[in-house]
Amino acid sequence: MSTPTTLTDRPREPFASPPKERRFSAQALAELEEIATHYPERKAACLPALWIAQREYSGYLTPSAIEEVANYLGLSFAEVEGVATFYTMYNLRPRGRHHLEVCTCLTCAVLGAYDIVHRLEHELGVGIGQTTADGEFTLSEAECLNFCGAATVVQVGDRYFTHITSENVMSLIDELRRSENYTPAKLADAIVKIHIPGSSENGGGSSDAEALRGAPGPML
Amino acid sequence: MSDNRLTQTEQSLNPPSEKRVKVKINGIQVEVPSGENIIEAAKRVGVEVPYFCYHPRLSKGDAANCRMCLVEVATTGPDGTVRKMPKPQAACTMPAAEGMVIETETPAIIKDRKGVLEFLLINHPLDCPVCDRGGECPLQNNTLFYGPPTSRYIEEKRHFPKAYPLSEYVVFDRERCIHCARCTRFTEDISGDTQLGFLKRGADMEVGTFAQTKFTSKFSGNVIELCPVGALLSRTYRFKARPWDLLTQRSVCSQCSNGCNTKLDYRVNQLQRVNARLNEEVNEEWTCDRGKFGHEYISSPERLQTPMHKRDGAWVPVDWTEAYRILVGRLKTAGSSVAGIGGAKATNEDNFAFQKLFREVLGSGNLDHRMGRYQGPTNQPLFDRLGYHAMGNAIADLEKMQTVLVLGADLQDEQPILFLRIRKAWRFKSATVLYANDHRTADTTNLSDFAAFNLIYKPGSEIALLNGVLNVLFTENLLPENQALDLTALKKNVAEWTPAKAEQETGIPAAEITAAGRLLQHSPMAIVVGRTVTEHPFYTDIIAALSSLATVTGNIGNVNVPGTEVNSQGAADMGILPDSGPGYVHVTAPGMNTDAILEAAAQRTLQTLWIVGADVVNEYHNPELAHRALENCPFTVVSDLFMTETAQLADLVLPIASVAEKDGTYTNCERRVQRIYRAFDLSADIKPDWLIFTEVSAQMGGTASYFSSRDILRDIAAKVPTYAGITPKSLGEVGIRWHYPTSEPVTEQADPMPPTESADKPVSV
Amino acid sequence: MGIVNLLFKNRLVPNIEEIEVYEAHGGYSGLRRAAGMERQAVIDEIKAAGLRGRGGAGFPTWIKWNGLPKNYDVPHYVICNADEGEPGTYKDRELMKKMAHTLVEGVILAGYATSSKKGYIYIRGEYVEVAWQVRKAIDQAYKRGYLGKNILGVEGFDYDVYIHLGAGSYECGEESALMSSLMGERGNPRLKFPHAPLPTVQGIWKSPTLVNNVESYCAATAIMTIGAEEYAKLGTEKSKGTKIMSVSGHVARPANYEIELGTPLLELLEAAGGVTGGKLKAVIPGGSSVQIVPADRVDKINLDYESCGANGTLLGSGGFMVFNDRTDIVLLMKRTSEFYAHESCGKCTPCREGTRWLFKILDRITSGNGQAGDVELLLDVCSQIDGRSYCGLGDAACWPIVGAIKAFRPEFDYWIRNKRSPLGADALPPTPERVNPLLTLTAA
Repeated sequence: MSTPTTLTDRPREPFASPPKERRFSAQALAELEEIATHYPERKAACLPALWIAQREYSGYLTPSAIEEVANYLGLSFAEVEGVATFYTMYNLRPRGRHHLEVCTCLTCAVLGAYDIVHRLEHELGVGIGQTTADGEFTLSEAECLNFCGAATVVQVGDRYFTHITSENVMSLIDELRRSENYTPAKLADAIVKIHIPGSSENGGGSSDAEALRGAPGPML
Repeated sequence: MSDNRLTQTEQSLNPPSEKRVKVKINGIQVEVPSGENIIEAAKRVGVEVPYFCYHPRLSKGDAANCRMCLVEVATTGPDGTVRKMPKPQAACTMPAAEGMVIETETPAIIKDRKGVLEFLLINHPLDCPVCDRGGECPLQNNTLFYGPPTSRYIEEKRHFPKAYPLSEYVVFDRERCIHCARCTRFTEDISGDTQLGFLKRGADMEVGTFAQTKFTSKFSGNVIELCPVGALLSRTYRFKARPWDLLTQRSVCSQCSNGCNTKLDYRVNQLQRVNARLNEEVNEEWTCDRGKFGHEYISSPERLQTPMHKRDGAWVPVDWTEAYRILVGRLKTAGSSVAGIGGAKATNEDNFAFQKLFREVLGSGNLDHRMGRYQGPTNQPLFDRLGYHAMGNAIADLEKMQTVLVLGADLQDEQPILFLRIRKAWRFKSATVLYANDHRTADTTNLSDFAAFNLIYKPGSEIALLNGVLNVLFTENLLPENQALDLTALKKNVAEWTPAKAEQETGIPAAEITAAGRLLQHSPMAIVVGRTVTEHPFYTDIIAALSSLATVTGNIGNVNVPGTEVNSQGAADMGILPDSGPGYVHVTAPGMNTDAILEAAAQRTLQTLWIVGADVVNEYHNPELAHRALENCPFTVVSDLFMTETAQLADLVLPIASVAEKDGTYTNCERRVQRIYRAFDLSADIKPDWLIFTEVSAQMGGTASYFSSRDILRDIAAKVPTYAGITPKSLGEVGIRWHYPTSEPVTEQADPMPPTESADKPVSV
Repeated sequence: MGIVNLLFKNRLVPNIEEIEVYEAHGGYSGLRRAAGMERQAVIDEIKAAGLRGRGGAGFPTWIKWNGLPKNYDVPHYVICNADEGEPGTYKDRELMKKMAHTLVEGVILAGYATSSKKGYIYIRGEYVEVAWQVRKAIDQAYKRGYLGKNILGVEGFDYDVYIHLGAGSYECGEESALMSSLMGERGNPRLKFPHAPLPTVQGIWKSPTLVNNVESYCAATAIMTIGAEEYAKLGTEKSKGTKIMSVSGHVARPANYEIELGTPLLELLEAAGGVTGGKLKAVIPGGSSVQIVPADRVDKINLDYESCGANGTLLGSGGFMVFNDRTDIVLLMKRTSEFYAHESCGKCTPCREGTRWLFKILDRITSGNGQAGDVELLLDVCSQIDGRSYCGLGDAACWPIVGAIKAFRPEFDYWIRNKRSPLGADALPPTPERVNPLLTLTAA
């Protein structure tokens, strides 16, 4: 009997065996317990707990991650997997060090988002949903990221990069290659921290806005 | 886990209501309970509203998703103006309210139904010719009556690999699924394992188990029947038959004492599948997997088809004449040195003939159906104190309880239907469940999952725990006033059992004992007892303690010690007991119990032993003694379906009819007498037990002879007072639950508690 | 009429996201004023101001506030819907990023008026930078005693506000789906009145729950700060106050503009610098879910609930998208239908199957395989979804398509007849050079 390594695997043989891995650190558990106190039911901490899991499991949710969350919250495994597969921001497969999510919804689409996608596909040599061979980038299309005034928007980890065009997108790529920030794990970490009261005082916050590109748009 | 689940109570789709409201459905004025959903309300006036996802036993929250039951609704304002709601409404969740006007057959609704069916079919593979569900498929039926004749969908349908196995029993065809959420709701609302869930979203949404692990629910088979399409299928029945080729016979499940009503679907002489049959009093419409998939033995090629005689260590098939010659010869030489064991799996009629043969013809009272450790007098402590032998409650009563204490039972395995009722009480009626046992249940889906407390005590310390909770009830003054009871002795006895002392003995934290004790004050409170207790060396003492608990809390009728085999209740009722005859009439000269019979056989002081439908070697609590007995007994005859391990050790084996091959009645754990019907004959040489007993009786010179099981039932009704008036006809569809005569009041003997040192004694197993 | 900065009054003040600066500019004075009033008086003030929900539906806000039962056996909850997801809308983003304290003040106000003990701000997961600002504002508000126990010295005014982040689902912006998501479930909608009690009676955890949009809470702050009378002077008779319009698309200065309700559509277009890259072809005034308005009708529309409704569209969430004459409406609708097919939660049949089918039909037409009768098919499929789905997402998926066919029928016919765009190969939005995963036939 095999244990699937990602939630999207369909096993070659039926009846996979339950996963065994445990990765939640003491700190992660403390965060989980803190967040659980915000709600009258532990179940409500499911989404934040999955974010914690996504961070602890280096950026994507494995069957073990689901099982750990379910055990801590007293939920059934299928219930938690249902939640994890419903929301698009939970990764069910490993992602590259930088997950490029190009908004291609209405406004961005009429303002050149597909040109950016095509350029990235060409330059990175990957299709939508694929990861570069060096594990650096995963390319995705995103539905409306709701910053239409700053089209085209590309979300990378915990940050939006605005006013991206097919011309300037490669300089963003170059800078991302050098950056330690904007990773899927940092995104998950930021989201977990935002749930925790007082975290803004401990120097929390998403990746620093560095001197990366993304000059303020007209409205900001 | 329980404290995490505050939303345990779900809204039922059919909230009962005393208040009646007037609604008008397709122009017909009708009064219905306030809040009843429109599908049910419409049924009252003979209006059918089609649906897929609606199911009256599932919770309301996830219903109304298939949109098949849309109807037009208008409301009447206080001033009498009728206002039509702008959108069609789902009838399955729409609560009936005063003055509501409902139209179900308008042109708009007819178009909506076509639309929904067109949507459902665009991705449905329409592989009806090879689908098991074909012919009994709600999707087919609704399409026939309400669907569009053609589809305008010209794009390609979605494709998935066919027949994905979810477990040994259930396969899943994802292409056919219409996402009605019946199966996922079943695992959440009814069986409680929540193993099936929706994954992904939108049109990619699919039903699945967690990470492709096995669907291990003990009630998994029900989703096959619930599925309104051919998406969830039985692996044992798949591709075996077309529904219209099957013949159906009503039956009762033979796997445990709960007595689920079933339908046997068979073709020629082969059982094809078992489905649940509705009985609101017993199983509602559920079965457990043991019941649904455990009947393959009926059509097994291993079944014995002819009597077998052991000659020089080898089995030789013989005909019945020869078998009877051997048997009767042996019985004649043995005289009264004969004994009979078994009957817990036979019908009441079989058992009545069994004891009649022994008591009246052979002159022996050595009869016992019990295999467990308790072999004491039939008027065990429960009857002496509370006035009944097994279950005080009807199964359906359990859902009316506020508190249920389950002591020493892995209920999901031992009494699956009782488990479902108790879970229903918790899920839909806010009951509190306490689970006490000397071990945790192996799987999390069992009672432990939703019990308010899991009181896991050290093996053998049941009485300490019960004394502890009694102490809490007394010291905190939580008991109802009852002048008639003299509780001084009991009070004095439990006074020393403070929660702290109980903690020492049981290992359960004192705070938990205190909290659990407080919960027990909420009446009605039922106690359900399982195998850990019935197989306990101090069974009598525990029952005494439980009786005290039930008495002081005012729940005298709510202690339940259900039997385990399909007809253990009936075998006892029919007097397959050493010390009482049919109807628990005391026998002046008691015979030997199972222990004594086997001991005598092992000592070769017993001439002939007849074992009826019991695999003694595997079922008796002391297998070593069983082996010795069978090896040493001069002559053993075994009536059974198979050449069991026990049969192998016998001298003569008689093939008997299974549940599908005979008529008769079973009495389930709550004393409900229910009929089984003969579906087919596997072989002409197989006989029902009662016929064997009758024929042997005739050859031994007995008088009364029966020609059918109906004859015997007539005799039972005449001779057993509690079965008086029971006829095949009066049993009807749901059976009759017999009652103890109420004339003699049950007097509580406020016995002092049993010696407390029993809790200290090491338990020898 | 025109641009009126009420909620945005201080948005250009440096460091307005710091509580000291916010207070110096009149921040939390509305809350102080409310704390000196009876709780019911606060609700009456909102009523007098005539505030209508800014999330899209335009339901009178005070009715919700007033609808929570006045007995407190079970806790009451306040939820702020900050799951901004409607394509074309980004007003909540800026409100939270710059005016987080205004939002927090509004959520506290609602907590006071409804005697709730807990408030949740449900922010979409993508808005990390924004959520940090809200986190900071909440933390600062605790320090200043605007949150916690006995707030502003009012005995028994105990109130905590938590942030709950989503994880990527448009559907969770729907009130009842948001509640599911907040309770840790899949973002499926829940039964609505009259099938189940109203959220204000039985919302999350079967408790009375108030759900409002970010802009609504900010407006409540403004009302309590300047007074209902002042607020009600703005706007039209039935649509009072201001509305933030998120202008995007082919305009010179895309940005959030706060306008007085009733402002003519063209005035806003002008303020945003007019159309770029060609002539005006169409405007979507209220986010992707509303009907498109062709250029020849834009002069008839004023931006308020009634005028939009009278002209066959909706003010919606204020996602004001402008398209020039290089935009191909059929391609635009294909992209819109792709959005809804992707975001349908899958719970009910019409939306789950229908949105995907609409996308497939439009994809077929725009890849040159249209057939005669396809437009009628689109309309009929829409009629089978609209009003039949479990929640509003199904309706929202149909309205733009029905609206576009009504206004631009010849373009659909052209595509079907000529298998190409009437605007040539470089029509906007372009078609991506790949097969959309939503169209793939098999899954693992």
